[in-house]
Amino acid sequence: MTPVNLENYLIVGALLFGLGLVGFLTRRNLILMFLSAELMLQGVALNLIAFARYRGNMGGQVFTLFMLTVAACEAAVALALIVTLYRHKKSLDVSLWQELREPDQDPIEDEEPLPPAPPPEPQPHLTPAGREPAAPPQETSHV
Amino acid sequence: MMDFLRDYWHLLLPPLAGFAAIYVLLPKARRAPAALGAMLAGLALVVGGVLLFRQASNWAEHILFYTFSGLALAGGGLVLAQRNPVYAALSFALVVLAVCGLFLLNAAPFLMAATIIIYAGAIVVTFLFVIMLAQQAGPSSADARTREPFLACVAGFVLVGAILCVLDRTYSTREIDELLAQVQAVAQARTLDDVNKVLGNPTDRSPTDKVPPLVKQLMETIPDTAFDNLSQAWVGKKGTQDLAEITKKARIAYQRGRELRLAHGSLHAPANVPVSHLSGVPASEAPGGPRLGAHERLPAGNVANLGRSLFTDYLVPVQMAAAVLLVATIGAIAIAGRRPEGLR
Repeated sequence: MTPVNLENYLIVGALLFGLGLVGFLTRRNLILMFLSAELMLQGVALNLIAFARYRGNMGGQVFTLFMLTVAACEAAVALALIVTLYRHKKSLDVSLWQELREPDQDPIEDEEPLPPAPPPEPQPHLTPAGREPAAPPQETSHV
Repeated sequence: MMDFLRDYWHLLLPPLAGFAAIYVLLPKARRAPAALGAMLAGLALVVGGVLLFRQASNWAEHILFYTFSGLALAGGGLVLAQRNPVYAALSFALVVLAVCGLFLLNAAPFLMAATIIIYAGAIVVTFLFVIMLAQQAGPSSADARTREPFLACVAGFVLVGAILCVLDRTYSTREIDELLAQVQAVAQARTLDDVNKVLGNPTDRSPTDKVPPLVKQLMETIPDTAFDNLSQAWVGKKGTQDLAEITKKARIAYQRGRELRLAHGSLHAPANVPVSHLSGVPASEAPGGPRLGAHERLPAGNVANLGRSLFTDYLVPVQMAAAVLLVATIGAIAIAGRRPEGLR
């Protein structure tokens, strides 16, 4: 019986890597950019596991285990950074951070501008009743 | 350029169709209906399955491989095509599950379980929490736009096409298979005429050129002493050829060629580099074939083999990984642990 081809698994790994690359380059949501990077890592992990099985060496699986560990750490730190960025701009859009580009680059313009944010609904005006609250109202979001 | 296209069109067509489908599916302000993109993607998957992959060994593994890879690639396409980030995270969990199925096919049950628990169980859930916490009111319209979709798809196609061409050149055994088929014809020859039809007549060659062209081609790709023995038998002792000797040497050469064919394209470290045997077949030995595991048989002995390898060969990286985890935990809390009033 002919053994399984190594090439098949490498092809799938390469395709997953390419998909992750396109996702990282195109998406504007910070979290989806990071998700595409994780997709690239899945392709690499598949490569390593296929080589480990084909060569009979555990090194590929050990490397994948370490990659899993580092991916978990990376997810923790990256999500902390994303949360911090969100607190500044109140949005996950990466195009709002144009001031971080090099000074000689023009900022990217949207081909079709985003629709303007709808005006906030007016709060209903109720007749005052009872006492004034002692402290100012708190923010709804603690993120 | 035309020669390149002629040789490799069957490798470049599936990624072309696939990335065209991705371009259609990427969220844009005026996106074509999803059905068109889905049809293109399905076509790309089918064409890829036919043109790219070579026959695997047995039916069960073949079918499982196609199922899991199709699911993984479809899930990857879904991650890119979704406008809602929550759906994209769930599609990524589907990709992780499919890739873990492929891990299981490659005799890695521990890593399958670990990846499902850590990736699909912890990392994706953390993503979902952050997505839900970091939204003002529903999905924003910025999620429905992408930056430079056409150029990104071109870049993806170039990268994937290059990788596929390199993989084909490295691992394809088409020429070796043709040469080995000729060696097998020699091994099964009944008369000396059959032998000389394949290898050529030794009396036609000049006295200094004692190697048939078939053996020359074989020695270029898979050098081995078995082929030298075959050419010596072909020349014969004192100019007379012995059919039994030739067929015996050809049979040995054919077996050796089948073994070497499996290792075609592998790189291995030179034999004088000290590499330990504790993790399995060391990198300095050429693999004669996929010998699964050195000490216990995979996949039942997977955890035992991993344990031995981690605590002997890779002990220092294990300790360093522990340090990395600690530092990452501290860092994440330090970065995002403050309340908004602390930042102003």
